[in-house]
Amino acid sequence: MSRSRSPGQVVLRRALGGRRRLVLAGSVLRAGHQAGEAAVPVLIGLAVDQGVVAGDLGALLRWLAVLAVVYLVLSFSYRFGARASDRAMEEIAHTLRAEVVGRVLHPGGGAESGRLPGALAGIATEDARRVGALANAIPGAAATFTGLLAGAAVLLWISVPLGLVVLAGAPALLWLGHLLSRPLERRSATEQDRAARASGVAADLVAGLRVLKGIGAERAALDRYRATSRDSLAATMRAARAEALQNGVVLALTGCLIAVVGLSGGRLAAGGRISLGDLISAVGLALFLIGPLQSLARVNTAFAQARASATRIAEVLAAPPAVTPGAARLPRDLRGGLSLRAVGHAGLRGIDLEVAPGELLGVAATDPADALALLRCLDRRADPETGTVELDGVSLRDLDPGDLRSTVLVAAHDADLFEGTLLGNVGAVAEQDADLGRVMAAAGADEVARALPYGQETAVAERGRSLSGGQRQRVALARALAADRPVLVVHDPTTAVDTVTEARIAAGIRELRRGRTTIMVTTSPALLTVADRVVLLDGGRIVETGPHTELARRNETYRSAVLT
Amino acid sequence: MTRDRGREPETAPPEGALPTASPARTRALVWELLRPRRGLATAGFSVMVGATAFGLLPQPLLGHIVDLVAEGRPATELTGPAVLLVLVALLQGGATALGLTLVSRLGETMLAALRERFVERALLLPQERVERAGSGDLTARVTGDVSRVAESVRNALPELARSLLAIVLTLGAMALLDWRFLVAALLAVPVQAHTARWYVRNAVPLYARQRVAAGAIQQRLLDTIGGAETVRAFRMEEEHAGRVANASRAAIELTMRGVRLVVGFYSRLHIAEYIGLAAVLFAGFLLVQDGSASIGTATAAALYFHSLFGPINNALVLLDDAQSALAGLARLAGVATLPPEPGTEPEAGREPGPEPRTVTVTDAGHAYEVGRPVLRGVDLVLRPGEQVALVGASGAGKSTLARIVAGVQRPSSGTVRLPAARPGARRAVVLVTQESHVFAGPLAEDLRLARPEADEEELCSALALVGALEWARALPAGLDTVVGEAGHRLTAAQVQQLALARLVLADPEVAVLDEATAEAGSAGARALERAAARAAEGRTALVVAHRLTQAATADRIVVMEDGRVAESGTHEELLAVGGRYAALWEAWSDTRATAE
Repeated sequence: MSRSRSPGQVVLRRALGGRRRLVLAGSVLRAGHQAGEAAVPVLIGLAVDQGVVAGDLGALLRWLAVLAVVYLVLSFSYRFGARASDRAMEEIAHTLRAEVVGRVLHPGGGAESGRLPGALAGIATEDARRVGALANAIPGAAATFTGLLAGAAVLLWISVPLGLVVLAGAPALLWLGHLLSRPLERRSATEQDRAARASGVAADLVAGLRVLKGIGAERAALDRYRATSRDSLAATMRAARAEALQNGVVLALTGCLIAVVGLSGGRLAAGGRISLGDLISAVGLALFLIGPLQSLARVNTAFAQARASATRIAEVLAAPPAVTPGAARLPRDLRGGLSLRAVGHAGLRGIDLEVAPGELLGVAATDPADALALLRCLDRRADPETGTVELDGVSLRDLDPGDLRSTVLVAAHDADLFEGTLLGNVGAVAEQDADLGRVMAAAGADEVARALPYGQETAVAERGRSLSGGQRQRVALARALAADRPVLVVHDPTTAVDTVTEARIAAGIRELRRGRTTIMVTTSPALLTVADRVVLLDGGRIVETGPHTELARRNETYRSAVLT
Repeated sequence: MTRDRGREPETAPPEGALPTASPARTRALVWELLRPRRGLATAGFSVMVGATAFGLLPQPLLGHIVDLVAEGRPATELTGPAVLLVLVALLQGGATALGLTLVSRLGETMLAALRERFVERALLLPQERVERAGSGDLTARVTGDVSRVAESVRNALPELARSLLAIVLTLGAMALLDWRFLVAALLAVPVQAHTARWYVRNAVPLYARQRVAAGAIQQRLLDTIGGAETVRAFRMEEEHAGRVANASRAAIELTMRGVRLVVGFYSRLHIAEYIGLAAVLFAGFLLVQDGSASIGTATAAALYFHSLFGPINNALVLLDDAQSALAGLARLAGVATLPPEPGTEPEAGREPGPEPRTVTVTDAGHAYEVGRPVLRGVDLVLRPGEQVALVGASGAGKSTLARIVAGVQRPSSGTVRLPAARPGARRAVVLVTQESHVFAGPLAEDLRLARPEADEEELCSALALVGALEWARALPAGLDTVVGEAGHRLTAAQVQQLALARLVLADPEVAVLDEATAEAGSAGARALERAAARAAEGRTALVVAHRLTQAATADRIVVMEDGRVAESGTHEELLAVGGRYAALWEAWSDTRATAE
């Protein structure tokens, strides 16, 4: 009995259904407002007819009193109707935003594949807002229809022929206007895209200001900006001309409709078929009806936009996860031994590797892509195509990826820092009583803090981009060490750090991770020296195992990967 | 009403911040932009006045129809005014189209001139000035403020002008019908004026907070979504979802406050509408009673007043947009009217050295903040063709010295003498840092920033020299592939190769390379080092070296410690001395001792 709906429609209905009371209240109240607005020109006509024309002060005052009541009603319904529908709109956007973020952060992953962060952020803000806007558009549509129906009813009541003239004329003129301006609209949209480009280029040049200054390209950049700016100007003026023309067409057509109503109403009044007041009301209503008819077109656009946005949101929410959770639990007293059996993933082929609990292992890969593939398998961002990875004898496939990561931390080479202080970043996932000072020192982050204006309380901005590469790396490493996971895998943690500090960090990692399983995936000799054992990954296979000094002596591939 | 209240007085900006122009200076700038376009401005304004005036004719014509009916004239006489109504509609439509075209041409050309001036000043600002202010400020102005001003030039300004004209002319027309209609209509003004003042007073600070809150959501979202891998790795999912939810919740509450404000605003305007309408109807009654106005005139007056609702509501709302655009304009004018500082032009203010092609730094000291010197009494001479490596711990002052030699930072004390640029080259010294940027657009255009006249062959040979030609050719559209934001994404190593290719194209006498290989990861670093060496070949070069193998091959090594030059000499000399460099080398080669 339930027809199959597209995922976008499901999102749309669920979002609106969750706020149905607010949407309903908004619709009723705003319909009341529109009915009131429609009554105003009618009441003006009645006041003129029965008060001014008849010279009856009592009648005039009576109609003015009625007008006051109508104003009161329309004002209050507008006030509370707008509040209800705006509240619904914001709440829906908020709920959808939370759902999108929740899906992106889900341990199973997969939502980001094929989507840039900026695009996902756009879906969580702009698309969520457009779907929410429907909660505003529906009451708007209700109000519009009420206005149209009320206006039509009054007109038909005044005079059937006159009502028919207006009711046929107004939509016909709007349709004509739409036909005339459609090519203009199309042109205007493409022109506006070009017009927006100037601001994009300017922002890009400012973002690259240091690079421009470094190569002395300020003048060249400026010439380029001028050319873009002129191009944008030309496009904008074409768009503005099209828009102005559209405006003029609508105005002229509206004026023609008024002329028709004036003439036919006047003839009816002259023939005594309607009163003067009816004529005035009819002219006022004809003017009034243009408004609701125009917003009808806007409601349509809002629906189309909301549908498209809901589809985009549904796609994110339904993105297939990269890995699926298993039901197994890790043993309570974890030893932290990893074993890889015949693992094949991306470039990796048949990797067999035992990492003993508490071992400090170095992994040197000749191909950075192989290193990345290995890292992805270790914290289940991906499952290997063949073979298994086990932690203390439990296959990772049988674990929930979130639970696994509470035990195994893979600290990426380009890990992001977050909004907050330097210390706040380091301590974000540390135990309450952790000795952060010791961790900072081990990662060389204490030196970073000393070089900053407010020390470890310095704010980190733009995902750590306010720090230099070397500073960021050390803070990220400190955070990874502070998390104090039973198994830690670090990837190239010191590429932007000077040699002396690097040696200190290597010693720090060894000291701090004593007795806990740690893997360093790197080609830095300073780090590999402190490892208990190093495996060399070449051509997707493990080709050698041994201490750094030994490998460096006997293996040419290792020497060229690590020491040149 | 409440315009031009100077809500952004020239408060003392935080130290180093970019200036905001005073209202007087903003006005002067607008006038300066307007003056060459006086003719256009006059024409546009006149046509708009005409269009609005045509818009006022239908009401008396309709009133005339009412009068003809009231006088019991034959229906055929109604055709005249009806034809006139059509004519007026066509004239009004035509004049409006023309007037809007002229007004937007005026606004858009002024806007283009303003943004070009702004970008010119912004690009020529000394680097240190931008850094003191934070580049975020400049970015915010060039995106947020420019688009806010543009938005209002495009939409608010013509609409505001139209509404104000309609209000003024309609009130005038009512006065023409009978001055007493005007008096009646004006009864609504005190309520409207009070409402507008109340609204602006509350809305302006609220909207400022809303913008901040909207920015915070965006920031949090990018923070969290951009760092999703890290969030998951560290199991911070809940914390981050909570952060986003809090930011979103805060923004919602501010939005709802704004909504309550706006609906309150309209509610009060409804009161004003009623007062005015009742007064005009009542005035019509009295005037028709004593015979000084016809029924048609009273009808026209009521219709006039009813038609004022739209423009008045429009104008009052647009005032708010205009206020925010004025604030943006002041921030643009603040930069656009900065006098070009001495030293703003690249290469200016530094004396050419006595010996051609030699860089001489004498007794240079520098402090970014008073009391925290990062460089003290540095003397350094780079002889023609010499390759010098700069070595030292993080924070020793290497980057600052590199920036001073490159001329993007003026030292607090001491002098720098640079060689003149080679004929055909733009700059004598080029700096390549780890901070890289890919300019949005075709790859070839990015490269041509360094040498605008370069042909395809020159671009290719520069790319080939730094080992980038192969991948560049393999891009979807080769050198015409759009790169940068929203374009094809390049790897960190490719971005650095691109920076080196720009260096080759700029072809400077002196090259300064600061950690240009740091971001690539250790495997990529070696390839980049080779590319950097080739790019620096045949030039005087100062290289900030991380990996000591890079330093060991230099003609000379300068070791920095605590902002001073601690040692200087060749690799062998410094090892023989057994000082700081020797210790560094030992630490370095310890890890690779087994290699020998």
